[in-house]
Amino acid sequence: MRFECGQCGAALEFFRVRTEVCPYCASPSFLERPASSVHPDPTFCLAFTGDAAWAKTRLQRWIGRRMIIADPALRHATVEELRGVYLPAYLYSAVARTDYTASIGEHYKETETYTKTHDDGTKTTETREVTRTEYRPLSGEHLGYITDVVVSASIGLDHATFARLQPFELRQLRRYSPTLVSGWIQEEFSRAADECMRVSRSDAVDDVGDQLRSFMPGDSHADLHWSTRVEWESLDPVLVPVWVFAVRYRGDRAPIRVVINGQTGAIAGKVPLSWWKVTLLALAAAAVLLAIALLVLHFREPPP
Amino acid sequence: MTVDECTRCHGQLEHGDLRCAVCALPVEALEAVERTTRAQVLRCMECNAAVAFSVAAQAPRCAFCGATMAIEQLVDPLEVAEARIPFSVDRDTAARALRGWLGKRGFFAPKTLRDEAVLETLTPLCWAGWVCSAQATVAWAADSDQGSKRSAWAPHAGQIPMRFEAIVVPASRGLSLDECKLLVPYYDLRRAVPVASEAIPGEEPAMIESFDAQRSAARRHVQRSIEATAKTRVEPHIPGRRFRNVHVACLLQGQTTERVALPAWVLAYRYRGRPYRAIVHGQRPEMVFGRSPVDWAKVATLVASVLAGIAVVVALVLAYR
Repeated sequence: MRFECGQCGAALEFFRVRTEVCPYCASPSFLERPASSVHPDPTFCLAFTGDAAWAKTRLQRWIGRRMIIADPALRHATVEELRGVYLPAYLYSAVARTDYTASIGEHYKETETYTKTHDDGTKTTETREVTRTEYRPLSGEHLGYITDVVVSASIGLDHATFARLQPFELRQLRRYSPTLVSGWIQEEFSRAADECMRVSRSDAVDDVGDQLRSFMPGDSHADLHWSTRVEWESLDPVLVPVWVFAVRYRGDRAPIRVVINGQTGAIAGKVPLSWWKVTLLALAAAAVLLAIALLVLHFREPPP
Repeated sequence: MTVDECTRCHGQLEHGDLRCAVCALPVEALEAVERTTRAQVLRCMECNAAVAFSVAAQAPRCAFCGATMAIEQLVDPLEVAEARIPFSVDRDTAARALRGWLGKRGFFAPKTLRDEAVLETLTPLCWAGWVCSAQATVAWAADSDQGSKRSAWAPHAGQIPMRFEAIVVPASRGLSLDECKLLVPYYDLRRAVPVASEAIPGEEPAMIESFDAQRSAARRHVQRSIEATAKTRVEPHIPGRRFRNVHVACLLQGQTTERVALPAWVLAYRYRGRPYRAIVHGQRPEMVFGRSPVDWAKVATLVASVLAGIAVVVALVLAYR
């Protein structure tokens, strides 16, 4: 979509974004348009809490921690592009009712007899107490609200990468207003709400699984199966703040993309590995393991 | 403060809520404006220049004149009390209650504690707490001895409806959680009056403590507290005589939360140079809690006597064996 800048009249192109900064007069413009199912209006927005310098510091620290396996050229990498982006996402909540079945393990002690061979070769029968587990079936219903599930609505950021940026501090949620995104990049929604609903529901069922594991009584459990019915689902468009870096570390390679949570500083990115470093590290680890194994074998009591 | 009710869980919604505090259902915005598609520059109210959101100011700020647009407020205000329970214990009664309590501190307290303790300060404090009520469906799972076989325990699960009425959840910064828990059972919540109402004759003006948490964090605290209460209240429903590993999951409905200031006298006293603190309940002067000194000479004498007694018994046993 092409519009005129409201300040100087220059042409502005809005491609998959809702905000633009005029290249001639630097005025931040915001695309006002009716909401549609494809391009909904965000209900909520989470504002940036760190600026570009803060994000760069986080990036440097993240690279520093990975230098042990990363390509050495990464140490002198340059940030080719740095963008503060309001990323489209959906916020999901629901009521979950879950039927579950499981085998609950209850420990009990039992005295068993065994034959002990002494140093002089004589054998005696002795007793010892051992812990055994008795499994009993359990079924029931678990219920609760599912809240704070956030999924990416940008085709540029897959769900797995987005999951690594989470959690966002949803207590800082604000009602969306264009003034909150003015001067920043607001990406348009590019994933269908139906798809995001499916992903959210699947995340919610995984969450229920985590809750169920800590809900189970007994000393242990096995064969936990559950089926969750979600009711009263809500899915609301929300904007979340992320810093996107394009880091160029070699002239002949494509820059790597690193994404930083604009609130918490959590980072998702793929470090270019140095294969000789990885090989050396693996060899060193194998040598340490081998040394430990040899020491254990050397000092182990001889078998009876 | 309550402006509406959540359609999903029927909990209270208050002015400024973006989502329901219990079930997280978003609250509908009020205005829906019809719009056409156009590019718009957001302008400063002071100098008409374009404005952009500033991270440092956490608000839109004009890059030219520096004016900040205060159009957006953080929607997570600190909680303030709406009601208070008036003091029915006056200053003299609180001081007498402390003296009485000091005189009954038991064998290990110094003999002179009651007479030598110097009362330093006696401060009336209305400490902050939430009073919550809710309907809930509580699913539970636990081990009990009912139906046990080789192991002493067998797993059980169930579901029960529960009504939580006037559960007091402490939110005080001044008093510790343990101190609050000791005071809570003795309050008569029916006597609550609006916080702005005039003091009753003879009542001392007391400091009303602000809440130690923002609204969103506060409600999580409230839910945790309700879950802890539910854990205790499902115990009679677990079959068998003994149980362990009790877990609950609550589906709350129609939760209401009132912010109340609860009265207590905070007393600081000094005994032989060392400071101690005691709390006198603001409605029941016989309820006094706190720390008091220990007479270590008495403790040492008792330990020595016990050791001497053991030594005598051992000597007698050895002599007559």
